[in-house]
Amino acid sequence: MSEIINFIISQGVDVDTVYLILALPFIATLIVIFRQIIGVKSFGIYTPLVLAFAFWAIGLKYGLAIFVVVLVSGTAMRYFLKKFRLLYLPRIAIVLTVISIAILGLLTLAGYLGKIGLASTSILPILIMITLIEKFISTQVEKGIRTATLLSIETIIISSAGYYFIIWDSFRNLILNHPEYIILLLVINIILGRWTGLRLREYFRFKDVIKHVDNN
Amino acid sequence: MLTTIRKSKGLLGMNSRNLTYIRPSNLKNAIRLADNKLRSKELLFNNEIPVPKVFGVVRNRKDLELFKWADLPKSFVLKPNHGRGGEGIKIIFGQKKDKSWVSTEGRRFTIKDLQNHIMDIFEGFYSLSGVSDIAFFEERIQISKILKPYAYKGIPDIRVIVYNNVPVMAMLRLPTKESEGKANLHLGGIGLGIDIAKGVSTHAVQRDQLIEKHPDSKLKLSGIRIPYWRKILEIAIQCQQVSKLGYIGVDIAIDKERGPVVLEVNAHSGLSIQIANLAPLKYRLQKVQGIKVQDESHGIRIAQDLFGGEIEEEIEEISGKQVLGIIEAIKIRHKVEDVEETHPLPLSRGELIEKPEITKEVKQEEKELKAKIDTGADLSSIDKNLAKELGYEEIINEFDKAIENIEIDSASTKEILDEKIKDNFAKWGDDVDTVIIKSSHGVSYRLTINMNIVLSGVEVVSKMSITDRSNLEFPVIIGRRSLGKFLVDPSKKAKTVFGA
Repeated sequence: MSEIINFIISQGVDVDTVYLILALPFIATLIVIFRQIIGVKSFGIYTPLVLAFAFWAIGLKYGLAIFVVVLVSGTAMRYFLKKFRLLYLPRIAIVLTVISIAILGLLTLAGYLGKIGLASTSILPILIMITLIEKFISTQVEKGIRTATLLSIETIIISSAGYYFIIWDSFRNLILNHPEYIILLLVINIILGRWTGLRLREYFRFKDVIKHVDNN
Repeated sequence: MLTTIRKSKGLLGMNSRNLTYIRPSNLKNAIRLADNKLRSKELLFNNEIPVPKVFGVVRNRKDLELFKWADLPKSFVLKPNHGRGGEGIKIIFGQKKDKSWVSTEGRRFTIKDLQNHIMDIFEGFYSLSGVSDIAFFEERIQISKILKPYAYKGIPDIRVIVYNNVPVMAMLRLPTKESEGKANLHLGGIGLGIDIAKGVSTHAVQRDQLIEKHPDSKLKLSGIRIPYWRKILEIAIQCQQVSKLGYIGVDIAIDKERGPVVLEVNAHSGLSIQIANLAPLKYRLQKVQGIKVQDESHGIRIAQDLFGGEIEEEIEEISGKQVLGIIEAIKIRHKVEDVEETHPLPLSRGELIEKPEITKEVKQEEKELKAKIDTGADLSSIDKNLAKELGYEEIINEFDKAIENIEIDSASTKEILDEKIKDNFAKWGDDVDTVIIKSSHGVSYRLTINMNIVLSGVEVVSKMSITDRSNLEFPVIIGRRSLGKFLVDPSKKAKTVFGA
């Protein structure tokens, strides 16, 4: 382990906390790469980032289960509430209420079925996922259900990738042994910030155009 | 793989659009102005650029309470001021007897429904970043005849991208059933690439996939000639000068009476236009960068020279007339009555129409064939069997029956014969008539029907005499009376105008 890290830990900071804080900018950069180089979009950078850490906290399987329950019950509720003319904030509050009940039901059901891991999930990651519903609903309203669903799927893909990085031992060792690599991220992000090349996805999107370009 | 990368060098991607073009060319103030529809409309109007009229602006609940609904016309468009991508726009195209309106989605709107929708707009549902917004009512553009068969309920518009005062690429956007009558591509509208020199459509794209025919009307999408093309390009360039957006997408619709009208200007024009044109945009932007452009016509000339297809329209430019060869591919438009059930959409808020509405829609279909251009003939004629195929069977049979026992000789005139068949043959409206044709073969008495024919992209109403041409090479002859808008060049090779 690097000397700096050893020093921080000796001051009483938990090693997991140090690791997660240092991992944060790495995962953020990963999301930037997904967006600028590959072309996988998501709900901004914050949503996939916290979701990746929430997945880490409760495990991917249960994390996905809760996230899907949140999205589905939230969307269903939105359509149900459309009939009533309500202001935005009260409406979101109602959606949150219903989601809370749904999550509670899910946890109880999990306990009943003997899935102790899910039933004893800590509250913070669940809270994070519930708050994401607002972002999801506002996207639904602004860009339509089709785009919102696509964006959710892509967000889940990016967050899962982030999750696998966080639990990867070599990644953990790399960060704890060489925290100075974090400086490298600044350079990488400056390069990414000036990257004007096509995103990988755009090669597929524009395949017909590319086919039509003359060979010379 | 390497060739793919090399070939894609001229493509404009999202990264490059944002960083290389929008960032340096479009200053914040100009973008803010473009995003504010009412303000940009005012700016264009003050600079004598045609825009749709505004019927009323609703800024707050008070305005909404005091709004005089009775003053609204039968058709109008309701828009959020800061909306993007067509969201939140309601196109109202008719009013029912009970004073409720009908939108292009097939939904019925009462005053209460419109109020609710405006409340949503106030709350910022459709605005760019969810901030509160205002709503306004605007004139609904009346669709021009040429584009009508291609549009599902809504209004087609033309997106022109202008950079450095040169119109670099253009696209015709058609509303479809899927897009609920809106022309926006991400809602399922169709984009047609346009040859910028001629204003004729080339390729078509829907949801980023190339298509050949309109999914609703099944009409072929290439070869559509856009009217007022030069004027459209001029207006687009003027919009750039006035709005101060260096990289601009101008949306222009064509009104039946007013001609080209600017719907809105965009600071963040989408990239699908490259697929519709099957041409890379960055390559074109790089070509016009740094050229000193004197005025609109210089900009248009540069675009035509650099990005147009082959130039063969010199004569047409001068005389204003299309040039036809001896043999031309033509389209005959005919009407087909179509009974359609429209189900109300479950997605929409507000009062739904419970029963499916049955609407009789008269659809236009097109028949494509080769015709002989015959300046020796006065009247155009069409083969009897073909005319029957086009839906005129009943009237042709009735006419044939009526003249069965009538004697026709060189002394017969149209008046005498018309009188004789009067009891057995009722003319069906203004489009139907009869004619006497005298030739070396003798005298014949024929039925004529006015048909809409598209010749080299121009639609003409042509009186067609019905006759048996089944053993002749061409089922249709176009005579002098239909050729007033054209010049005929016997050396011009027959080519298909459909781009096939």
